[in-house]
Amino acid sequence: MRSIEELGEVELDALKELGNIGVGKAATSLSQMLGRTIEMSVPNAMVVRIQELHKVIDAEKMVAGVVTGLDDIENGQAGFLYITFPEESSQKLVEILLGDSSDEEMADSTLMEIGNILSSAFCDATAEMLGVTLIPTPPSFGRDFAIAVIDAIVSQLADKSDYVVVFETKLEESEDEIEILVMLVPNERFVNYIFQLLGMVE
Amino acid sequence: MSNEILVGVGEFRVAKGAVLKTIGLGSCIGIALYDPVIKVGGLAHVMLPQSNNGTKRSAKYADHAVEMMMEAMERLGSDRKRVIAKMAGGAQIFKHMTMDMLKIGDRNAEAVKLVLKDYGIRLVSEDIGGNQGRTVYFFTNDGRMLVKYSKGGELWI
Repeated sequence: MRSIEELGEVELDALKELGNIGVGKAATSLSQMLGRTIEMSVPNAMVVRIQELHKVIDAEKMVAGVVTGLDDIENGQAGFLYITFPEESSQKLVEILLGDSSDEEMADSTLMEIGNILSSAFCDATAEMLGVTLIPTPPSFGRDFAIAVIDAIVSQLADKSDYVVVFETKLEESEDEIEILVMLVPNERFVNYIFQLLGMVE
Repeated sequence: MSNEILVGVGEFRVAKGAVLKTIGLGSCIGIALYDPVIKVGGLAHVMLPQSNNGTKRSAKYADHAVEMMMEAMERLGSDRKRVIAKMAGGAQIFKHMTMDMLKIGDRNAEAVKLVLKDYGIRLVSEDIGGNQGRTVYFFTNDGRMLVKYSKGGELWI
């Protein structure tokens, strides 16, 4: 297996393209669900030393965060999707969908459902592009510091590597009321899909 | 705060006089070691309970973090017999959780306690568990630790 440190510019570009297609599909699903136009920002893909993660993630920002695992049915876990909603955005989203955001349990479920939709759409894209079937796990959910929500996951990855790959892009609604940050945190297995994909192209 | 040193995820820092800070502890744990006689202290941001055989030494593991921090403090003249410890973190951030492997907070806290026991370092205070993220400040001039919670409130330990 190739490791995360071996990812060069070409591989990161491939990851970016894959992420683009995946999140693009997710954005379409979300915009259908909300009946609003959702735009996607220019994505970023980078290899980050775990020690410097606080420079990439807005560590102390309070977010509602949904984490889904991406499971390769044949080979096991391939990574995670981490979807964060800043507080105002999460409230606005829930209001659009439910008309009222006062019931916290309902609000949490709604955000988890959005996480489900985004991750399923993402998995569809990876199936098309890579020919690998990824199944999203049911979502885990928490409201806290952006880095505190994800640290249990980063810890799992840290056992294997000192680096994580992060693909991130922002989904923004045209009226500027909603902002969602989507991060793909692939593990070594996912990184190998990228190498295989590039191998096929060459 | 003046003279503040940031400790990244999976890192440790040792200092004399400075304020050591680590942000956004979820399931991770902030371990502080302190020698009250020479006023040297260290803070580590630990992610995993235990190193595996053959892994490179790294402060991301509880056992390595204590070992590395202790060595660094000894180089500054600290005596292991005087050193005390404080720790905070190990929360369970997810309200709804489907992946059991994410329940790592408790295991981290247990592991830290075992390592400290092995080293004969006394744990004088702790703030472990709960469901909120924490940012921790460790004042190496007097050994106090300030825990700030993500949802408001703070605690001196």
